[in-house]
Amino acid sequence: MTTTRPDIDVSRRAFAIGAASALAGLTIGFRWASAQAPQGGPPVPPMIRNNPQLDAWVRIAPDGSVTVMTGRVELGQGILTAMRQVAADELDVAPARIALISGDTALTPNEGVTAGSLAVKLGSTALGLACADARATLVGVAAKAWSVEPQAVKVEDGIMLGPAGQRMSYGEAAAKVSLSRPVDVTAKRKSPAEQRLIGTSYPRTDIPAKVFGEQVFIHDLRPADMLFGAVARPPAYAARLVSADLAAIKAMPGVVEVVRDGSFLGVVARREEQAQAAADKLARSATWDNGAPLFGGKGIFDYLLTADSETKLLHAVKADAPAAAVSHTAEYRRHFQAHASIGASCALAQWQDGKLAVWSHTQGPFPLRGDLAKALKTAPDAIRVIHAQGAGCYGHNGADDVALDAALLARAVPGKPVRVHWAHQEEMAWEPWGSAMVTRLAGGVAADGTLTQWAHDMWSFPHSTRPGSGQGCNLRSAWYLADPVPAAKAVDGPLPNGAAARNAVPIYAAANQTVTSHYLADMPIRTSALRTLGGYFNVVSAEMFLDELAAMSGRDPVAFRLANLKDPRLAAVLRKAVEMSGWTPGVVARRPLAPDMVGTGVGLSRYKNQDAYVAVVAEVSVDTNSGNIRPLRLWSATDAGRAVNPDGVLNQIDGGMAQAASWTLQEAGRWDRGIMTAVDYGAYPIQDFVTTPALASTVIDRPDQPSLGAGEGSQGPAGAAIANAVFAATGRRIAEVPLTPERVLAALRA
Amino acid sequence: MGMLSVNGRSVSVDVDPDTALIYVLRNDLALNGPKLGCGNGLCGACTVHVDGRAVRSCQTPLKALAAGAKIVTLEGLGSKDKPHPLQAAFIAEQALQCGYCTNGMIMEGAALLADKPNPTEAQIRQHMNTNLCRCGCQQRVVRAIQRAAGKGV
Repeated sequence: MTTTRPDIDVSRRAFAIGAASALAGLTIGFRWASAQAPQGGPPVPPMIRNNPQLDAWVRIAPDGSVTVMTGRVELGQGILTAMRQVAADELDVAPARIALISGDTALTPNEGVTAGSLAVKLGSTALGLACADARATLVGVAAKAWSVEPQAVKVEDGIMLGPAGQRMSYGEAAAKVSLSRPVDVTAKRKSPAEQRLIGTSYPRTDIPAKVFGEQVFIHDLRPADMLFGAVARPPAYAARLVSADLAAIKAMPGVVEVVRDGSFLGVVARREEQAQAAADKLARSATWDNGAPLFGGKGIFDYLLTADSETKLLHAVKADAPAAAVSHTAEYRRHFQAHASIGASCALAQWQDGKLAVWSHTQGPFPLRGDLAKALKTAPDAIRVIHAQGAGCYGHNGADDVALDAALLARAVPGKPVRVHWAHQEEMAWEPWGSAMVTRLAGGVAADGTLTQWAHDMWSFPHSTRPGSGQGCNLRSAWYLADPVPAAKAVDGPLPNGAAARNAVPIYAAANQTVTSHYLADMPIRTSALRTLGGYFNVVSAEMFLDELAAMSGRDPVAFRLANLKDPRLAAVLRKAVEMSGWTPGVVARRPLAPDMVGTGVGLSRYKNQDAYVAVVAEVSVDTNSGNIRPLRLWSATDAGRAVNPDGVLNQIDGGMAQAASWTLQEAGRWDRGIMTAVDYGAYPIQDFVTTPALASTVIDRPDQPSLGAGEGSQGPAGAAIANAVFAATGRRIAEVPLTPERVLAALRA
Repeated sequence: MGMLSVNGRSVSVDVDPDTALIYVLRNDLALNGPKLGCGNGLCGACTVHVDGRAVRSCQTPLKALAAGAKIVTLEGLGSKDKPHPLQAAFIAEQALQCGYCTNGMIMEGAALLADKPNPTEAQIRQHMNTNLCRCGCQQRVVRAIQRAAGKGV
């Protein structure tokens, strides 16, 4: 049979030219002009401020071929399809004719990390503006040549047409004008009425290749002479290596090199399974000092509430309010939760003459490059990071860490490409987890049903410890080297984005409000960004609390929300989801136990208080004998402003609901003295076909409004709706996520 | 040195007979379809057909294959020019996000349809239940299988 080998250039030439053939002939190494906002002019989009040159975003070759560059990367969210839609519309070029280059430190703008539902909001805004500027510039050349007004020039797939039948291609015009200048931020983007692709469910461009088994993923890269690497992991996070018999491992079948650098141990072998077998044996046969027990042996919620934390009042509103007729306080708890990607993290690295090329599914090629340079004690410009797709990550998983592992192992075999693909259990044990959290809420309701007071406190470990954060190095193996580079001190992100406090500012118009964080920067179990950061659990907590206030004041949860909402767009999505679900108003109360109890609940939020508006209604059944909760149906309504690709938004919203159902009902990390132990899908089950509820979702398109981040919008409301449906079904609150059968039974018996 | 029949072609491989089929398919034969997922047979990303049955290639050592066993991977199921109905249905339904599990979804779903051309939704969900998708595309996958079965949307 034919054995295809990928056309990858991991030689020295990889530093000089692009990996994609479309880039042949382009030189690399942009000069970044200093960014300046014009006096009194329109605001400069943040990504343009960081990457002001027009030809950093779009290039037109003399033959008319179009290359568009984005720092954003495909994570399975369909972002490159959305970017292609935006570029094609603004340039008036057929989408299939655009060469789209993504996430390459040698070739694309630096857009930091692709995260936080910001790719469309920030990335497409910048790219759209650059493409609009490029189109106007090229049209200007033709208009001048033909002595006509620019408005008289039409463009059809990169060919400019004049009123008297004149024709000029973009390629001809590009030869007469330089795009090597700052983006003109006054360039006018097309109005919604002029857009042909933006706002349509243009089919994902990456799906056919994935359906036919073409080479798409980083795991599929197989350059000639590739070797396989694997890391021998310590038995505990705090463990340090005492001794290891490297010679015995070197003698194993296929082993090419055994690497020890401090407590970092790994192997390079000819075959993947040989590398894994050797690394397993190396880890087991080495002698380790295991270090201190996690959390000093305390329970996690006890630890969160009692260990040293930094308390900060983040938000306060004070106003006169009527006396509270109902006052209430509550505490909610959430366990550690994992990204649990189907494909473990993977990277390919090759050293050549002191330079390093790394293929990575990182969310941030540039920040990764910076942290690699720190760990490897080399200059950032000696490293090129090139994005290649991985399995969905849902936040900061092992993607960045494995890139350092590959670089450390490849350094032992200069010139040879080395691929490292973590084992699934390795990913689950060593990736950063989503933080366990405790929240406490206090509130009051006046006799007329208006909120008088709302106080939201949360105790949490960090939610963002990505590469590129501060002075240290946030790549795990760097901490185990003989000359270690410790992690940067974790800093909680400020509102309105927030990290631990994301979405803790109430969406309801309580007269008096506070949000207070209790931040534990030191994390015995490493934590970082899991889709929504603290947002999921802050929304779940707030929405659970709101339903308890509604019940205590004898009000229907939907009516109570509408009476206390100020934002009409939040009210609109709530009304829509409620209408879709056929909501029956009522007051939640304790009901006599029956074998199978069905209930309906609602959850509402505006992601980060500034992105997509999402309302979810959930219907669940509770088996009161087993304690098992079955989510039956979820209905959602989303307002993401101008939806660049409505089906893409729906796919994200639905997927987020299915994932959040799993988080809310079954996912919890467990650990022993020194390390996470629920590290496979048996011990850490995730959503499947039988337990995933039926989903019905609607996008309310608002073509006249800016695009809002949607990719993480449904997690909080979906979790809240499920928890509130259980509350409605039984009249009992289960205050600890996940809502496991044991906790359900305990609540029913209380 | 052993002979394997993969996607209708006979190929020789020179590896330890204890080696899991997934490594041979991916690393020796440069096939991209089967994906290494959990490595424990729990997620289904590595699914291939052996003599028409869906099997987990991460749990199938070469020595467990019958002589002359016919292996079909996603690449052999259909192509852009001649797609299997389920491959076409996955495109029509946009039934994935990252696509890492897609190989297993299609291979397992195709095996179901070969066995049971008109499954009910409940039968589809039950059959597919040990194929995991972390992106949460279960409902779209069900729709794609229904579409390929000539049902539903």
